[in-house]
Amino acid sequence: MIHKDVLVIGAGPSGLSAAIEAGKAGADTLLVDLNLKAGGQLFKQIHKFFGSSAHHSGTRGYEIGSLLLKQARDAGVEIWLQSTVIGIFPGGKVGIERGLDNGEKDLVTLKAKTIIIATGASENAIRFKGWTTPGVMGAGAAQTMVNVNHVRPGENIVMIGSGNVGLIVSYQLMQAGCNVVALLEAAPKVGGYSVHAAKIRRAGVPIYTSRTIIEALAGEDGSVCGCVTAAVDDHFQPVPGTEETLKCDVITLATGMKPTMDLVKLAGCALKFHGPLGGYVPIHDERLETSVKGVFVAGDSTGVEEANTALDEGKIAGISAAEELGYISHEDADAMRSEIWSRLDSLRLGPFGERRMKEKKAMMEEYSETVKVPAAFQ
Amino acid sequence: MSEALADDMLVCRCEEVTVGDIKKAIRDGARDVVGVKRRTRAGMGLCQGRTCEKLVQQIISKELGVPASETGTSSVRPPVRPVTFGELAKGDVEDD
Amino acid sequence: MSYIKTGYLEYSELESLQTLPDEKRYQEGPVAVIECVQNIPCNPCEASCKFGAIHIGSPITNLPTIDTRKCIGCGNCIAKCPGMAIFVVNKTKGRGIASVSFPYEYYPVPKVGDKCHAVDRKGEYICDGTVSKVVNPASYDHTPVVTIDIPIEYANEVRSIERGYQP
Repeated sequence: MIHKDVLVIGAGPSGLSAAIEAGKAGADTLLVDLNLKAGGQLFKQIHKFFGSSAHHSGTRGYEIGSLLLKQARDAGVEIWLQSTVIGIFPGGKVGIERGLDNGEKDLVTLKAKTIIIATGASENAIRFKGWTTPGVMGAGAAQTMVNVNHVRPGENIVMIGSGNVGLIVSYQLMQAGCNVVALLEAAPKVGGYSVHAAKIRRAGVPIYTSRTIIEALAGEDGSVCGCVTAAVDDHFQPVPGTEETLKCDVITLATGMKPTMDLVKLAGCALKFHGPLGGYVPIHDERLETSVKGVFVAGDSTGVEEANTALDEGKIAGISAAEELGYISHEDADAMRSEIWSRLDSLRLGPFGERRMKEKKAMMEEYSETVKVPAAFQ
Repeated sequence: MSEALADDMLVCRCEEVTVGDIKKAIRDGARDVVGVKRRTRAGMGLCQGRTCEKLVQQIISKELGVPASETGTSSVRPPVRPVTFGELAKGDVEDD
Repeated sequence: MSYIKTGYLEYSELESLQTLPDEKRYQEGPVAVIECVQNIPCNPCEASCKFGAIHIGSPITNLPTIDTRKCIGCGNCIAKCPGMAIFVVNKTKGRGIASVSFPYEYYPVPKVGDKCHAVDRKGEYICDGTVSKVVNPASYDHTPVVTIDIPIEYANEVRSIERGYQP
């Protein structure tokens, strides 16, 4: 059996920065990711990031990914790609389906003294008549197609949801040469940043607020040929008589995300429901430790937010894991964490971040009330 | 999200479970995601509920008039992703 | 605040939410117009200005403010703004012409001399224009800054060009 100080699961922004911190501190660190390439969602983010000019802002997501990868290698982090954690077993043993250089897979078991779960989030589906018709897909899937695989999902797109994902992916689909027919938002206002909305409005894309999709229409070949939309009332119910039909060959859903929970559930971490964070999340303390001793979380897997906050949460988790193992003194770890927390708090200011900040604080309070001391692995 | 959900609308596409199946499971006594899963197999397919769990939560919430936070979440067991029997058979199972 | 419903700013709305150059300043030469009106945790525009004309300070969610006396209208901030929310307007070209510079990340990249359809903040055709400058150095990281000449009366409305327009 392989033994490691720190196992980081998921090589997105939070997992990479966690691995970098743990590796830099001297911990024997393994980073595992199921994709061909490390970087998680960063490599499909071709837009320039918001944030502080001191921390990569104005840099495109994929460039941040490359930078982090290099830092991880420099920090001595071992990286297994195309490798999937298939289970966390009693006593903290981890089963990994490891991708080998020859394309084969091998099943290995590993014991890590600490585990950082940074498995991100998955897209929400919404249901409407015909939602399983070919041509209806997640906005993230469409984004992967154009930005990673360089394939257009179709010619004429209708985007559902005006959060930042819906707005940014609409823009990127146009950059790839697609036509975005319209963006529908069931709420009475645009969900994402107005600067992102302004970009697609300038490009001639209408945004219909208080309107949603009620049916995907299928053509002769069985795939999407249009959709029926309707205005919605204050309770998000379609108003009869307001139906309109749009022609399109792809319908993309940008209707929120939820944390990926399977590994935290297997590890036995206590969960709580926090709607603004995407649903059930593993609760954690200021050190990002869950209710299970030595198991940490970071990034979207503990509340759907943004890459910038994921990067900082990852750092905290990496520092805390190294502290747990004695590679960083408690005093140093506290000082490092408090600097990052003050930056995180400032990133979570403003009308968009505040709700998440409150929810995160409430969650950490719940932790201190209900967990107090993390329990050993069952 | 239409109020009048047709009973034949698919919710769990992996296991082909419809709105009607889930409503029936609730009438039969299911009170949370796990109860619906046991009665209908919703969430037991290839994606392990990654797509449908939230939709199932919404239906339970509406049918029973409870908040989504009281509809529960699915239990999991390994392997959390599909693994071939071949890989399992050649796997490293030694102990410390 | 209709922009929250429609996704675009009316000029009057923008005036009430941001410090814009006054007409006197417009008459003195090119100047940046910042159309960032929400408290986004973001500040690269501040560092991008060599003349110290853009201020955000702390906290990072402050709105950027521009000192139009320090701004020379160089346009360096246009490509640096991740929100693509900064423009440069020059109303001093004479002969009833103004120029508007904006970020443009679509293919094909416009060329100097191209005829174009100038559009407003909601993407609607306003007037014909001519591309007078395209700046796309490596430091802009794939965000070409395009300048078009248009009739001066539309300078506060024109903010981009119709994609894929061919005369």
